[in-house]
Amino acid sequence: MGLKIEEVKELEPKVVEEKVQSEEEIDTKNDDGIDAEKEMNAIKASATNLVNLVSTKASDIDWEAGTPVPYAALCKTFEKIEATTKRLEIQEHLTTFFVQIIEHSPDNLLETLYLCLNRICPEYENLELGVGESLLIKAIAEATGRKTSKVKEELTKWGDLGKVAKDSKSTQPTLVKPKPLTIPAVFSKMKSIANTNGQDSQERKIRDIKFLLTACRGDEAKYLIRSLEGKLRIGLAEQTILISLAQSIALKDPGYQNLSKTLKAEELTAAADIVKSVYSEVPSYDIIVPTLLKVGVKGLREDCKLTPGIPLKPMLAHPTKSITEALDRVEGQTFTCEFKYDGEQDGTTKIYSRNLEDSSMKYPDVLEKLSSIVKPDTKSFVLDCEIVAWDPEKNCLLPFQILSTRKRKDVKESDIKVCVCLYAFDLLYLNGESLLQKSFTERRELLYNAFQEIEGKFAFARYMNASNVEEIQAFLDESVKASCEGLMVKILDGQESRYEPSKRSRNWLKIKKDYISGVGDSLDLVVIGAYLGRGKRTSVYGTFLLACYDPDNEEYQTICKIGTGFSDVSLENHFKFLKEHEIPEPKTYYNYDKGAKPDVWFEPCQVWEVKTADLSISPIYKAALGKIDPSKGVSLRFPRFIQIREDKKPEDATSNDQVADLYRSQFRNE
Amino acid sequence: MFEARLTQGALLKRLLDSVKELVTDANFDCSETGISLQAMDNSHVALVSLSLRSEGFNPYRCDRGFSLGVNLNSLNKIMKCAGNDDIITLKADDSSADSLCLVFESPVNERVSEYELKLMDIDQEHLSIPETDYDATILMPSAEFQRICRDLMVVSESVTIDISKDEIRFTAEGELGTGNVKLKPTSSIDKPEESITIELGQTVSLQFSLKYLTNFTRGTPLSEQVMLCLSDNMPLLVEYKMDIGYIRYYLAPKVGDE
Repeated sequence: MGLKIEEVKELEPKVVEEKVQSEEEIDTKNDDGIDAEKEMNAIKASATNLVNLVSTKASDIDWEAGTPVPYAALCKTFEKIEATTKRLEIQEHLTTFFVQIIEHSPDNLLETLYLCLNRICPEYENLELGVGESLLIKAIAEATGRKTSKVKEELTKWGDLGKVAKDSKSTQPTLVKPKPLTIPAVFSKMKSIANTNGQDSQERKIRDIKFLLTACRGDEAKYLIRSLEGKLRIGLAEQTILISLAQSIALKDPGYQNLSKTLKAEELTAAADIVKSVYSEVPSYDIIVPTLLKVGVKGLREDCKLTPGIPLKPMLAHPTKSITEALDRVEGQTFTCEFKYDGEQDGTTKIYSRNLEDSSMKYPDVLEKLSSIVKPDTKSFVLDCEIVAWDPEKNCLLPFQILSTRKRKDVKESDIKVCVCLYAFDLLYLNGESLLQKSFTERRELLYNAFQEIEGKFAFARYMNASNVEEIQAFLDESVKASCEGLMVKILDGQESRYEPSKRSRNWLKIKKDYISGVGDSLDLVVIGAYLGRGKRTSVYGTFLLACYDPDNEEYQTICKIGTGFSDVSLENHFKFLKEHEIPEPKTYYNYDKGAKPDVWFEPCQVWEVKTADLSISPIYKAALGKIDPSKGVSLRFPRFIQIREDKKPEDATSNDQVADLYRSQFRNE
Repeated sequence: MFEARLTQGALLKRLLDSVKELVTDANFDCSETGISLQAMDNSHVALVSLSLRSEGFNPYRCDRGFSLGVNLNSLNKIMKCAGNDDIITLKADDSSADSLCLVFESPVNERVSEYELKLMDIDQEHLSIPETDYDATILMPSAEFQRICRDLMVVSESVTIDISKDEIRFTAEGELGTGNVKLKPTSSIDKPEESITIELGQTVSLQFSLKYLTNFTRGTPLSEQVMLCLSDNMPLLVEYKMDIGYIRYYLAPKVGDE
């Protein structure tokens, strides 16, 4: 059954880079965390735009009905989308393309959608391509007869392997040009690459990639390589794809052409709404797309419903900076405050993290416990809850950092060192019925009726129905003392209290301790290295390597990579300044992990103030090595650049002892 | 009904060995006149063409033309179960072949083993290869060609072949240095398999990927001599002739090195 998690914090260091990329994208185009109202307006605008088009003109590339969609047609659409930052235009290009597919080759719609999403299966199935940059470089080199060193050189120059592949002039001509690629051919090869494992899997993957590459024409190689890298980077958000799916199906509805202009726009807007809401309950295109093609938008809600076993996307809370801000929002409504536990949000039988990753393997003990908390009348259910680390001796909660030390896979119940307690705060599905449309008061009542608390194993989230700032402040202090992250404020009754999967809604507000001014640790760190930028950050440094100072050993110890908090201008300035301080080899007094070498090294020359949400133990960073863990260092989670500390010399940077203290202070909430 | 019995089963093993590195899946086309296979490598740079005449088998029976789609890796696994001296018989139902039956008979005792290999549908383009008059045709010992390819691989990923009336030169240039091998025509009446001959219409100079060439030299055990045919702007032909037929490899020349 479905589960989710509120605040899954991924471990360092991968996060940094992903973050960099997603932030770049949000700059111009809409993605996650959208404001509901803005979003609605965008959908309406797009609907009106489509209605007013003289005709939904076919895209430039046409193909015979009933035959597979040429990959070139998709690439052409990608090209048009990449060329603009206007959401209306992107939506129009994509919808037009989908309509063309529905008319000519509806069987290919699902595969097309996955290629647009740069995915090969529903998110919760968790199948990844497993193609790294070096593998792609090798495949490009072999397919074109060029040297790998040459390909790498070009990659550094352009920062986009897709472009390098496209521009690579082959020195090895083919005997005959292979047949043009089609969408099903590309998709099935990608799926087979993802499923390739075991002996010689790298070789076999390279062979498949070469096959695709040699068949590419024109721009196809660019998008093919980017897709394989998992970085399509054309600014196509999933929301946009969902809306285009809805619009294209609605446009092809037999009744549509007879409607008036106003009604047409309404129809398209409603379709987008339905498809989006169904997708958040059943996040599987494998189910939704065939159903849409069969019954259209109107029959979708009837045929696709929240189903235990298919994890839905959890509802997300809107962050607030102060209690008063939260209060302003809920004024005049009945509302409740709940402890916001710091753990992994979750469901039942199968446990999914917020990204819908299946984590059942990690929590066999949770599965085992379930039978004891379920009351006899409860047959099937989907819970929204948080898994929190629990100290059975002191009967208290432990910080998230402890939870994250649990093994990720194949956990045996007998070896478990970190005990967990499940805190339930919402019930979405009970005994065959979806509860999403019910009010929170009703859902909470059903939740309390269907389950029973067991100390240290299963509990309901603590709540209080408060109404003024002082009460909430007291409750917030209490929650922080109990090692919680802060409070959730939720509306209890009426329309606005329904569970809206995947929405970052203003109906749920979070007051996190970090958001409250004064909290959140700030450190002064030395820049000792940098990674060359990709995408928009090509030709400047994209990410930097920071270090703290160990005065006893007179060495700099690496602490984190940082790529967040920079404006384009500041990146350029950093580049200009640091370029002058590049050194060919790291200083002997740099303590770093060989596996986390930056592209360039700097002399210790500048101190940066950095804010972080948290500190965690890391095997690849060296800060405070030996102080907390004999072989591992401490690293920062979600570090953010604040400013340059001109007043500080590198030796005045935060010391390793201070880092260790900051780390320890996280556990001193009681 | 299709049935083909080959007394020297080891030949089939060697043939498979010379194809399976280049292509993973291929169709065996069976007809009254024999068995043939044509397939391109994944990158469409090289092509292998194999032909076995019906007279080479005893007996050979094929009532009508059909294709056997085979995963060569799987076939190779099964072929490893055959002894080197075994007599190998291939059998299939030509009207609805979904598997290929392989029978291995030991010549010394009564041991008979039988395997069935599942077949697959392979969508393959068939190229018609026109007969060409090549600018240069070389016959040389196949082991010598294999050695040259292997040696020059040390220096570079590609080799330039220059042919004039009285000399064949193989040259490789790489980061560590250069290497070249020169051969002159020779003939020996006692040992014809060691002779080198050049038939030249006009001089030729072409560059090829050594990775592919070394791949082709897996055909060396099939024949004492190898034939190389070259023309400007044409694919190279490398042929190993056998009593029962031939295996031919084609390779597109490289253009302008970086």
